[in-house]
Amino acid sequence: MTSSGAAIFFDGATSARRGVDVELAPDGLRIRASDGAVLAEWPYDRLETLSAPEGVLRLGEADSPALARLEVRDPQLAAAIDERSLPIDRSGRRERRMRAKVIFWSLAATASLVVVAVWGLPRIATELTPLIPYSVERKLGAAIERQVRASLQSHHTGAAFECGSGAKEKSGRAAFAKLMQQIETAADLPIPLTALVVRQREENAITLPGGYIYVFQGLLDKAQTPDELAGVIAHEVGHVAHRDGTRAVLQAAGLSLLFGMLLGDFVGGGAVVLAGKVILQTRYSRDAETAADAYGVALLNRIGGDPRGLGRLLSQIAGTTHPGPKILLDHPETAERVAVIEKMAGSAPTRPLLDRAEWAALKNICAG
Amino acid sequence: MTTFDATVAAAQAGRIVPAGGIVRFGGDARRFWLLLAHGAILLMCTLGIYRFWLTTDIRRYLWSNTELAGESFEYTGTARELLLGFLIALAILVPLYAAVFLLALSLGEMVSVIGLMVLTLLGQYAVYRARRYRLTRTVYRGVRFHQTGSAWRYAVCALFWWTLIALTLGLAYPFAQSRLERFKMRNTFFGNLPGRFEGSGLRLLLRGFVLWLLAVVPFVGGLLSMLLAVNWRTLASASARDDLSTWLETSGLASAVVYAVLTTIWLLLSFALLYPIFQAVVLRWWASGLRFGEVAVTSRLRTAQVYGVYARFLLYALLFTAAAGVIVVPGSFLLARLTGELDSMAKEIITTIAALAAYVAIALGYSTIYQATVRLGLWRCVVESLDLSNVAVLEQVSAAGEPASPVGEGLADALSVGGI
Repeated sequence: MTSSGAAIFFDGATSARRGVDVELAPDGLRIRASDGAVLAEWPYDRLETLSAPEGVLRLGEADSPALARLEVRDPQLAAAIDERSLPIDRSGRRERRMRAKVIFWSLAATASLVVVAVWGLPRIATELTPLIPYSVERKLGAAIERQVRASLQSHHTGAAFECGSGAKEKSGRAAFAKLMQQIETAADLPIPLTALVVRQREENAITLPGGYIYVFQGLLDKAQTPDELAGVIAHEVGHVAHRDGTRAVLQAAGLSLLFGMLLGDFVGGGAVVLAGKVILQTRYSRDAETAADAYGVALLNRIGGDPRGLGRLLSQIAGTTHPGPKILLDHPETAERVAVIEKMAGSAPTRPLLDRAEWAALKNICAG
Repeated sequence: MTTFDATVAAAQAGRIVPAGGIVRFGGDARRFWLLLAHGAILLMCTLGIYRFWLTTDIRRYLWSNTELAGESFEYTGTARELLLGFLIALAILVPLYAAVFLLALSLGEMVSVIGLMVLTLLGQYAVYRARRYRLTRTVYRGVRFHQTGSAWRYAVCALFWWTLIALTLGLAYPFAQSRLERFKMRNTFFGNLPGRFEGSGLRLLLRGFVLWLLAVVPFVGGLLSMLLAVNWRTLASASARDDLSTWLETSGLASAVVYAVLTTIWLLLSFALLYPIFQAVVLRWWASGLRFGEVAVTSRLRTAQVYGVYARFLLYALLFTAAAGVIVVPGSFLLARLTGELDSMAKEIITTIAALAAYVAIALGYSTIYQATVRLGLWRCVVESLDLSNVAVLEQVSAAGEPASPVGEGLADALSVGGI
């Protein structure tokens, strides 16, 4: 077995390159200059393999502040040092084992982050939402409302964005106010509602944080009775009561942190991030829709309306909307929703929410 | 070793190299391919968490296979440091994002504009600090490199120059490069040997001016004629419901579209043809401006070499595209057959996951090919094109400088402004 050999040494203090003799002493490497002076003594258990080109064994002293380096090119000497020193890993076996550990734990971390995104985040957002003061929610809503208004408004020209301000729309506005007053009194929410009918062709209604409810003109045109319209509004009030908008903002922020900052930062990761966000967000929102349906039915029962109206209007709209992949649906399937609404509706006595003339006026709220 | 590598190696061997001033790259390309392919699979499985380890492996490979005057460089950074830097960066950025969001709610949109500027500044700050991390993890002959200077000052300078580049349509680029590189290099040290940069912005401008004329002038001209072709008043007054063809005609939108298409074609064409020349000019200029004490660097990089690198990338990318097509097309039929029996929800989930996986695999494939051909190829070309004078100086350098924290790398990673 080789017990000494030639190598190259850098002492870490200067860049001078020295040819040295390496002696394999019982307890460590003894590095001697050509004149015999001992330059360094490194115990075997403190040797460290460093990254080097192939065919070179580059050694340093572990945890040493100086960057002294010993470069061994003689394969026999390298093998002999490897033999005696435990930390040296010339075959790379230890490195591979370490790497396997790293891979295992990063896979585990990925899996647990995905689990948190699917099950943990909605829970956390639900727990956090009540902690957010209504004043903050109101501000958040006002900011979002500005943006939504700007984005919707750009689509049309001329007439005002919201219905009910024109001279011919006054009576419709009064009827809408009467309907909203009944709903709002029964709902008894901690924040005031701001409900508007807006000039939009789509058959839809949206709720923003802070009690903003927009009923689109297209939906109003489709509604045949006050109960149908009241049903949709009561459903939207459910979103306000459950603070779904604020929760969605919290969920979106949490998702952006998980998918975008922690996960998905690699080439092609953008698609994963986008898909993850969209699928999870629609999943969260489906649960919120079901809860809002239940709230809407209960609210309509309380004011004496017919909760089946919501189901009727939903079935009518469903025929006109475009079919798409189910995992991208942010609402549960309509047939399922209608069935659940029918079941919850019960058979409490109903009374008209608006008289015939008022309903006719309301239908004309966007007459212009 | 491919035929291309062999040609390059043969060319290298045949060249007369000045005594003492030789830089060599001895890396085995196959090992690099393997490292990247392995890394790409793990990136996909860990949704990117593995990137700290892959980055470290790539740097170790590039550094340790680069040899100057018979001694190779050493990268002493670890993946653990990069991960730590990233976590610290998150701890800084998450409250910052939240604060910008909350302030924007109460104070209005102006805050988001200011927030964006702060983030841009922070990005440049990160670039400088990340460079400091990399330099202090670069060891040559048992002596480390280091970097001094204020990262905030650099960030302000960089923001100023990049704004100027945008305003001058790129004409300020050579001067910006020369100024910023001067800032970096006069704060760069190898042990106690101070670095500096002597590339002249004017010289780079003169070398690249024709490229600028060919690429930017037609582009701006096309853009302007597009804007001028549109009759804005007609466009605003006419509604889309009117007769479409006359409306297109009178508003000038039709000719604007033609201009837009021509401009885009020119942009893509000039980019594909001129970018390698531009890169060769800038790299040669940059490398030839580097100085460490009395050591002066010159580069013999040839433009043809850079074209060769990109040609190789194109060749491999085409082969990969063909291979991916051969796998994806029958694969999707097979998937449709296999999931035919399942209910629609399960089918959608499986199809979505399969499509995502295919997309990510293909994107990572291209990225791997890019890294293995362009990045490695350029590194090799540039490194082997270098000549150094007074190399003996490198033997008498005293150690100086301390290792720097990896926070800059973490910030650069989180803000996606990375370097190597």
